This record gives sequence, structure tokens and C-alpha cells, in this order.
Amino acid sequence: MINSWVIYLVFAAALFFLGLYCLLTMRNLIKLFIGIEIIGKGVSLILLSTGWARQSIFLAQSLVVTYIVIEVSLVATALAVIINLFRTNQSLDVRKLTRLKG
Amino acid sequence: MTAQIILLVALVGASAWAILARDLLKSAIALAVASLLLGIIFFQMGAPYAGVFEISVVAGLITVLFMLTIALTKQGGDVRESKVVKIAFPVFFVLFAAIDVFVMKGVLARIPAIAATPEAGTFGEVLWKERSFDLVGQLAVILAGVFAVLALFRKKDHHD
Amino acid sequence: MIFLYIGLPLAVAAVLPLAGKASKKVLPDLLSNAVLAGLLVYAATGARALLAQGPIIQQVRWFGDAVNIRIALDGFSLFMLMAIQLVSLCVALYSINYMEHYGAKANYHALLLVMVAGMNGLVLSQDLFSVYIFLEVAAVASYALVAYGLEAEELEASFKYLMLSVVASAAVLVSIAILYGMTGALGFDEVAAGLRLLDANVVVGVAAALFLMGFGLKAALMPFHAWLPDAHPSAPAPISAILSGLLIKVSGVYAITRIFFHVLGMTPALSQILMWLAAVSIVLAAFLALGQTDMKRMLAYSSISQVGYVVLGIGLGTPLGVAGGLFHLFNHALAKSLLFFTSGSVQQATGTRNLNEMGGLAKRMPWTAGTNLVGSLSIAGVPPLGGFWSKLVIIIALVQSGEAALAVIAVLASVLTLWYYLILQRKAFFGKLAEQWARVKEAPFWMTAASVILAVLVIGVGLWFATIFSSWIQPAAETLTRGF
Repeated sequence: MINSWVIYLVFAAALFFLGLYCLLTMRNLIKLFIGIEIIGKGVSLILLSTGWARQSIFLAQSLVVTYIVIEVSLVATALAVIINLFRTNQSLDVRKLTRLKG
Repeated sequence: MTAQIILLVALVGASAWAILARDLLKSAIALAVASLLLGIIFFQMGAPYAGVFEISVVAGLITVLFMLTIALTKQGGDVRESKVVKIAFPVFFVLFAAIDVFVMKGVLARIPAIAATPEAGTFGEVLWKERSFDLVGQLAVILAGVFAVLALFRKKDHHD
Repeated sequence: MIFLYIGLPLAVAAVLPLAGKASKKVLPDLLSNAVLAGLLVYAATGARALLAQGPIIQQVRWFGDAVNIRIALDGFSLFMLMAIQLVSLCVALYSINYMEHYGAKANYHALLLVMVAGMNGLVLSQDLFSVYIFLEVAAVASYALVAYGLEAEELEASFKYLMLSVVASAAVLVSIAILYGMTGALGFDEVAAGLRLLDANVVVGVAAALFLMGFGLKAALMPFHAWLPDAHPSAPAPISAILSGLLIKVSGVYAITRIFFHVLGMTPALSQILMWLAAVSIVLAAFLALGQTDMKRMLAYSSISQVGYVVLGIGLGTPLGVAGGLFHLFNHALAKSLLFFTSGSVQQATGTRNLNEMGGLAKRMPWTAGTNLVGSLSIAGVPPLGGFWSKLVIIIALVQSGEAALAVIAVLASVLTLWYYLILQRKAFFGKLAEQWARVKEAPFWMTAASVILAVLVIGVGLWFATIFSSWIQPAAETLTRGF
């Protein structure tokens, strides 16, 4: 079982890399949030595959289900903030967010 | 197992497409496809409940929320992403993938673990009986999200 | 019923929209304050008595069936609960006046109560994953509260805060997954027992590093502090108070402390890393605070610096050090909330946060100026106020353990702290009253009342520090350092 677990971890790490790359390089606010979503997929994959490797698939599923519920709340709140930002700035460019400095 | 690996590769591919696509709508759809693939991966691991949740909630609900946001924030002139970033991406990715596989093979082979004991009960029992505190937490986070959205979309009278 | 700490705020939050329909302002204010006052009284009296018989583990019963909600109360969590209810109550009182023209009070109080429920739940959890869940509950509520005013600056601050915070939460979850993968358990005791059986120092080190990154960001420990100077000033004043006074400590410092002491085990290496990161926080943030012209931004950098003191004491790991750190946590929670309250009063009266535009406000706003002075002096470490004693304990503990260099750093930074707080006092309150402020009025009743309550507490803690230290702080420190 342990070897298969490693394979899942490799791919989850790749997802983390993709998400972080997106956060570091992209400029569109919504794109940035898509990066966060990809990190979230990586996290769910790690949670489930760890539980699977320990042969407690039910516990793993409970954790993943709870995590997905938290993710939905987070997405709703974040998108609400993004929509409001668009209305105030008329732009989705992260480079326009420069009011706070120092 | 090879089927899983193909699915995993497709998952990473769809996610990469979500990041690199120029059109936001295509990104959202790529994200939905990625969620779909992840759901199938879960199902193949013997986690049907997680799979169904992933597909219906993430590929379904969250994609709808993204589409809604994209629709509400459409305007003339999109945000131009840097071209350099998209060209540099494959380089970084291959570099990372190499380090990734190398590290995981070396380090992880040596993670000590306590032997696993088989699980008792059914999924329902585990969720409702053993992790009932999590359900309280889920309720709380849903309340937080609902109130957050209500607060952020309220009719605004300007404050000083 | 310890579960009340989580259940009651959530239940009241759920019905607040209905209450808000019935009466726009009075009922939500009333309900919110009543809940928090009730929980505070319970913490001070009833729970204390329960605790006399040793740590309590509560098994909640639901419709006759024993549901597996294990929450436990020990010296450390009771101490945190007291601090949370106390500061939250003052924040709710302050909000009665301050949030008047933000609108939708029922919604605001609902978010506030959900955040308090999240913090309470975090403190009462006995399980790594529950800690994560309630961490997110409080965090989601805080993202909305920071953006509450819907002005451009607030939205921008909320967005940046959100992005960084979510990455931190992901780091925490990966660490939890690693620990689960090794030990097969999620509860504190089980994981600790499992880790003792295994010999896994490298992997535990990786897990500890991830926890440090994740919770360190929540605590605004350097180098993970970047979000705080943007988020805290832009939020409405009561929210700045609860974020600086409670959230960074509950979701950051408490989580690190609980996990490093009870689950991972505090090793000398970990202790050194924590202490030196803390020292960097203390010094750098103090220097950065010196150069600020925005009143609330200066307070924000001060928070980073003071959290450094707390982590310094806790990182030391000795009973006296931990006690000093916890005492400073409490003092800072009281004083920093007080300072954000007064800054909010000033901002509402004058419309600006720029220190260079203010001047001589003490003549027109005596209560605000007086309470601000109390808070500033306490954090700067001037006797006989609370902050002096807690810093003294930390420094003594450092000297006792032979950490002379860190003790010297702590003392010198104290001087820096006093310096920038004196600058704040002089620029805002003393000196000549500028023309445009000739007509400002003192802050409204509840805002002043909340500030006065906190100021009295700060003075009281300073005067009676010996009793408070021995009856509240030391038991808390003991439960941590006793070793499991």
C-alpha cells in the first residue's frame, strides 16, 4: 500500500506547485482564486489517499466531505469580495490593488 | 493502478490548463473537468461518498459560483496575463516534477507508521457518531459563509 | 455544559436575522451582548468550580444517544476562554455605537458571534482536525468582517488577508495529514502517544515546519506577518480590536502552543527556532512601527511585535517562561483592544487616521486620551500596569534559563516600544489643539464605556498581578509544561 500512497503524494505535490505558481504569477483576481481551488484539490487528494493508505476510507471520506463544505463557504465569501472589488475598481487586475502600502 | 495514474495525469493536465487558459470561462470549465476527474479518482479508491461530494459540490456548485462571478465581472478589456509566465511554465513544471519524484521516492520510503487497524462500522456511523463534532463545525462554517455573503451584498448606505 | 460556548453563540447567530427584522438595532445589540456576558460569567464562576476537580471531558448527549463530541477543559483552555469572552464582550459593547452607520447590525453581530463560536470551539477541541475546522470558521467570519464597510481599502485588505490565510490553512492540513498517516489518529493524546512509539524525528520536523508556517501566519509571526499591517488598520475599529486582541492569539499562538506542547513535544531545537523567530518579530516590527504615520498601522506593527514577546516566553518552554508568555497574551489582548477602540473613537471624531494631522485631542476627548494612555503604557511595559509585569516575568525566565542575549533584546525592544507609543500619544493627544478639531466631541457612550472597562481591567491586572498570576496564569502554564 505504501508505494501507491507515494504516487498520490507525487501528484498532490504537483497540484500544490500548480496552485502556488498561479498565485505567484497570475494577475486576474479570479485566476488567483482558481489557483487556491487547485491547492484545495491537492489537499483533498492528500487527505483521502492518506486515509486510504491506512485502510480507514470512511474516516478519510468524512474529513474530505467536511473539507469540501468549508471550501464552499470560503469560495462564496471570496467571490463576494472579488465581485465587490470589481464594482469599486472596475477592474480585476491585482496590480490595481495598491492602496495599502508600507 | 495504471488507470489511476492516467486519471491523475489528466487531473494535473486539466489543472494546468485552468491556469494557462486565457479565457476565464475556459479556466472555469477546466477546473470543473479537474474536479470531475478527481471525483472519479476518489470513486476508484473506494470512496464513493467523497467522489459524489466532489463532483456535485466542487464540479457543480463551485463551478456555478465561478460562472456567476465571471458573468458579473465582465467588461470590455480583460486583464492581460504576462506572456513570459506562460512560456516559463513548462520549464518550471518539468523541473519541479523531477524534484518531486526524486524527493518522494527517497524521503517517503522512510516515513515510519504505526500499523493500520481495519475500520469498523459504516460511513454513516463514522461521520455521524465518531466525527459528530465536525458536523457542528460544518454548520458553523455554513452560517459564517451565509452571513458573509449577506453582509457583502447588502444595500450600502455610505459610512464616513 | 461546556458545549454552550460553541452552541449558544451559533444558535443566537442563526436567529439574529429574524431578530433583526423585528428590531433593527436594539435587539441584535442586546442579544449579542447578553450571550457574551453570560458566557463570561459562566467562565469566571461555574467553570472554575468544575475545574477544581481536574480537567473535564464532556460527552454531549443528543436525544438520549451519546454523541461523540469530546471537548475538554483544562487550565489552559479555561484561561483562553476567559480572555475570549472578556474581549468579545467589550467589542460587542463598543460596536453598539461604532457600527451605527455601517448598516445591517443583525448581520454584523451574527458574524461576530460565529467568530466567537469558532474561537471557543478551537480552544475546546481535542482533535487536530477539529482545530482546523474551527480555525476556518473564525477565519471565514473574519474575512467578511474585515471587508464589512465595503470601501475599496477594506475590500483590498480582506482579499490579501484571505489569499494568504487560505494557503496557511492548506499547510496546516498537509501537516495534519502527515501526522495522521504516521499515527492513524487525530486526537491530541492518541497522536502524541503514537509519535512517542515511532522514531520519526525528520518527518515530525517537516510536520512542525508546516505547522509553524500555517499557524505562524495566523499569529503574524515574522516572516509570515505581511498580511496584518494591511488587514488590521482597514477593518472597522471593533474588528481590528478582536483580530489583534484575540484572533491572532487564538488561531495562531494557542494552536502552536497546544500542538507543540501536547502533540509534537517541545524539543530544544524547536524552542530555539521559536524564540529566535519571536526575537526577529519583536525587533523588526518595533522598528517598522516607529516610522508609521497611520495610527492604526502603528498599532498593527505593535501587535506583531508583542506577539513576538508572547511566543518568546512560550518558546522558552520553562514553566515561568510559559506563564510569562500567557500573561503577556492576556495583557496584550486587553490593552491592544483598548488601543484600537480609542483609535476608532479618534477616527470617527476626526475622520482621519493620520497622526500628523491630529494634535491636542486630549482637550476635547479626555476619556479617549486617558484610556489610550493606560493602554499604551501597559504595552510599553511601564509599572505598575499589567504589561510591565508580564514582560518582567518573561525576561526573568530568559535570564534564569541562561538566554542572556534574548533577554537583552527583549529589554532593548521595550525601550523602542515605549518610544513609538510616546510618539503616538504626543502626536494624537497632546500638544496644541489644531484648528479643525476645535469642535470634536468625545466618543459616544458605549464606545467610551467599553474603553473605560478595558482600561480599568488593565490597571486592575497591574495592581493585583500577583493574585491573577497565581490563580489563573500559573495553572494554565502548568498544564502545558507538565508533560504528557
